[in-house]
Amino acid sequence: MDLIASLGLGFSVAFDPVNILYCFLGVLLGTLVGVLPGIGPTATIAMLLPITFTLPAETALIMLAGIYYGAQYGGSTTAILINLPGESSAAVTAIDGYQMARNGRAGPALAAAALGSFFAGSVATFLLAAFAPPLARAALNFGAPEYFSLIVLGLLVSIALAHGSILKALAMIVLGLLLGMVGQDIYTGTPRFTFGVRELFGGLNFVAVAVGVFGIAEILRNLEDETEREVGVKRVTNLWLTREDFRRIVGPVLRGTGLGSILGVLPGGGHILSSFASYSTEKRVSKNPREFGKGAIEGVAGPESANNAAAQTSFIPLLTLGIPAHPVMALMVGAFILQGITPGPNVINEQPALFWGVIASMWIGNLMLVILNLPLIGLWVKMLTIPYRVLFPAIVVFACIGTFSINQNIFDIYAIAFFGIVGYLLIRFGCEPAPLLLGFVLGPLLEEHLRRAMIISRGDPTIFVTRPISATLLALALAAILIAVLPNIRRKREEVFVEEG
Amino acid sequence: MKKTVSTLFAAALAAGTALAATCVAAQDYPAQPITIVVPFSAGGPTDTVTRLVAQAMSEDLGQQVVVQNVGGAGGTLGAGQVAAAANDGYTLLLHHIGMSTAPALYQSLPFDPQTDFAPIGLVTNVPMTIVARRDFEPETMADLITHIQENGENITYANAGIGAASQLCGLLLMDALDTRMTEVPYQGTGPAMTDLLGGQIDMMCDQTTNTTSQILAGEIKAYAVTTPERVAALPDVPTAAEGGLENFELAIWHGLYAPAGTDPAIVERLTTSLQAALANETVAQSFADLGTYPVPADQATPDALAQTLAAQTELWAEVIAAAGVSAQ
Amino acid sequence: MAINASRNDLASGGIFVALGAYFALEALRYEFGTPLRMGPGFMPVVLGSVLVALGIAIVLKGFRKPDEEAPPPVPWRGIALVLGTVVFFAATIRGLGFVPVVAISAFVTALASRNNNWLSAVIIAVGLCVLCLVVFVVGLGLLVPLVGPWLRF
Repeated sequence: MDLIASLGLGFSVAFDPVNILYCFLGVLLGTLVGVLPGIGPTATIAMLLPITFTLPAETALIMLAGIYYGAQYGGSTTAILINLPGESSAAVTAIDGYQMARNGRAGPALAAAALGSFFAGSVATFLLAAFAPPLARAALNFGAPEYFSLIVLGLLVSIALAHGSILKALAMIVLGLLLGMVGQDIYTGTPRFTFGVRELFGGLNFVAVAVGVFGIAEILRNLEDETEREVGVKRVTNLWLTREDFRRIVGPVLRGTGLGSILGVLPGGGHILSSFASYSTEKRVSKNPREFGKGAIEGVAGPESANNAAAQTSFIPLLTLGIPAHPVMALMVGAFILQGITPGPNVINEQPALFWGVIASMWIGNLMLVILNLPLIGLWVKMLTIPYRVLFPAIVVFACIGTFSINQNIFDIYAIAFFGIVGYLLIRFGCEPAPLLLGFVLGPLLEEHLRRAMIISRGDPTIFVTRPISATLLALALAAILIAVLPNIRRKREEVFVEEG
Repeated sequence: MKKTVSTLFAAALAAGTALAATCVAAQDYPAQPITIVVPFSAGGPTDTVTRLVAQAMSEDLGQQVVVQNVGGAGGTLGAGQVAAAANDGYTLLLHHIGMSTAPALYQSLPFDPQTDFAPIGLVTNVPMTIVARRDFEPETMADLITHIQENGENITYANAGIGAASQLCGLLLMDALDTRMTEVPYQGTGPAMTDLLGGQIDMMCDQTTNTTSQILAGEIKAYAVTTPERVAALPDVPTAAEGGLENFELAIWHGLYAPAGTDPAIVERLTTSLQAALANETVAQSFADLGTYPVPADQATPDALAQTLAAQTELWAEVIAAAGVSAQ
Repeated sequence: MAINASRNDLASGGIFVALGAYFALEALRYEFGTPLRMGPGFMPVVLGSVLVALGIAIVLKGFRKPDEEAPPPVPWRGIALVLGTVVFFAATIRGLGFVPVVAISAFVTALASRNNNWLSAVIIAVGLCVLCLVVFVVGLGLLVPLVGPWLRF
């Protein structure tokens, strides 16, 4: 079947009124749970699995997929408005998005996020339709050495996440890597840094750490001095993007879409890197790197596009090979099986209506999201006019309930308190939380892939340079260091990393 | 089978009547939704099995049966939570073979699988398949045995971490062949399968729930199934015995438990409900699609589960001690 | 106090040294392994040492230049009440149940702000309680007792 005919079939399925309705319900629900801090698509899809049991397979998967990418849209909202990222991608959005909101530019930030996401989602959906099987094959060439080199590259370029001291940013990344190692070592089963607490065997919960170092720490900072300034935002100047804003987001959106689409296909952790990679790229190519961290719209548009593109292309390994790239995709596998379909390489041939229907619905869903979200911007911005003294208790309580709902694990809530105080102290002393979160999500992957690569190569470290993809990635990483170190381009570097002294 | 079910049902009714005087709660049971805890994350094979069974049980009980995922620490967190839950029949546990390996793997287990639970019945025995990357040299199980014995540690063998079904199968295989392969642990079966598909590693042994579709699509090579009989979904794959590996049997058995001290009448009611669910055609069909089957009604009983648990706990204590594996 | 150094750098560097040392020393108790089979101790020991080194570098840099701004006041009341609430929530959600815990948590957190008084805190608590019930329990079907076992007789 050629692409046009396949897409025709897909759209005929996706435009079925019932499927349209469930697609809408999915993206609406996704937006809502994305907006709520803590609770995310994983918990929601898990809770809704039994309901989808009674629906036809296409309808069920269209709705569940809608929840997933809908949550990607919604997740940026709380990150921008109240500095509370629900997952790793939104942590990057929070850096400049929240600063924009404090400058009274929450409207343009949300609009840039929505438009960037829509563009990226559309392009990635097209890629998914046109090239899914070959892309999935190509991704299988990524083994442990390639992932290790990719993560090293990601960590090195991500130092640009910081707008303050580069030393402190490095320290925060390393601290994050170490925190990521808490829990049971999968190679030997040794529990590490767990204080004998069984709840810690599976590692620290990302949401708990993120809510602590971003959300709770920010509240404590705002409570520092309530008398002198009214905490919160400056007066909202405008809701929509200016012509200048449009001009500034075109490049970041295009680059973010490209980066996200490629990284999303890699099932071993590529999607995690997408928004971080986009942010670093934008800061590097920008003529005004000093603005980053203080409310640069490029720092919102790029990562949001990358993140949404990756969200779509991370369906590629699932739909074409039956491999789940992350927990949400694992749930989708469960949904497939409950529908009597075993996800695997045969789905595309045996269930063409399902395969193409879900893909076509993704584009429709993205369109719905942008239509749904743009009018909501006014509402969200109004929410910022709620007095902070009312807003912050709501944030604290929502964060606790949301985090609790993920695993019903009380220990996760204690972790919020711990990381709230640690995060507050570090931020107070001039360290930024985003690099810590990057290290935290990449730490386990870095270690896992390094150790696995060494086992597979029988202890021979040259495996990293004798495999071509890995060697290329390491060469890029080396280039990144050289650019940062070589004295003749030092002046340029200082523009990128503005030292606070 | 129907007859057994109705007999048991009658027995349950009789037992229920006898106890009615002492326990009012059992009479109205179930008066509120029942929660089945799965000690693994949602979307995995055990989760899927549980959701299928829960759906059918809720039809039989006339009450909602909710599945709750409490993952972590190799399934011991969720199991521990149910062990400590109220024994009113509203919190149950569906766990697999890991129930019998936990005592050997974890030195400080906060519960005893054999005394802290009231077994309800076995659910299913998921067969395992011995598989390899598509271009792995051996063609048959006999070739594979020779190949493993000749190459030993040069063969990389993927597993999904300490205590995972895939690791247990590997331990048993290496035990049977009296050789070691290089074990490469992964964070779950999904990433392991990814690397197997990409030819990054040589071999794996995993549940049919994960491997069937890849085998049928020709993406990976299957040498044998680990059950005494062939699996319906994979008629061309021989059993390990047929392939020349005697006394090698392994199935990932799943059982349903209530906390210890649950009213026997309630346990009986749950047993009949489980048996009804396993007799349900939709469940049987879905299980078949996954490459497994429901246990017969005489296995879905508290006694059968208790015996299996006791025997397996003993077996794995030896295998795990011999392999020197510990999750502490 | 007139130390001619950056308090921020000294303090953050100190935190990094302390945490790095903890991770590295604790990890020394785990197996270090060989290049082929790196043990669970390998990465934490290496990274912990790197963190200690970075922390020392930050401290040394701090001696070169003092902070430009005076530190903001420490929000003791906020820290105590906000973190106290989070810990309270964790300790009692299973025992007291959803409604009492949310109400008490919202009430106490609200008091962390000097702009709230008893009355406004009560209003916030009631409002949030209703909102959370609607969103999490009704809307998302969160499985948690509304009134926990400690309050049942």
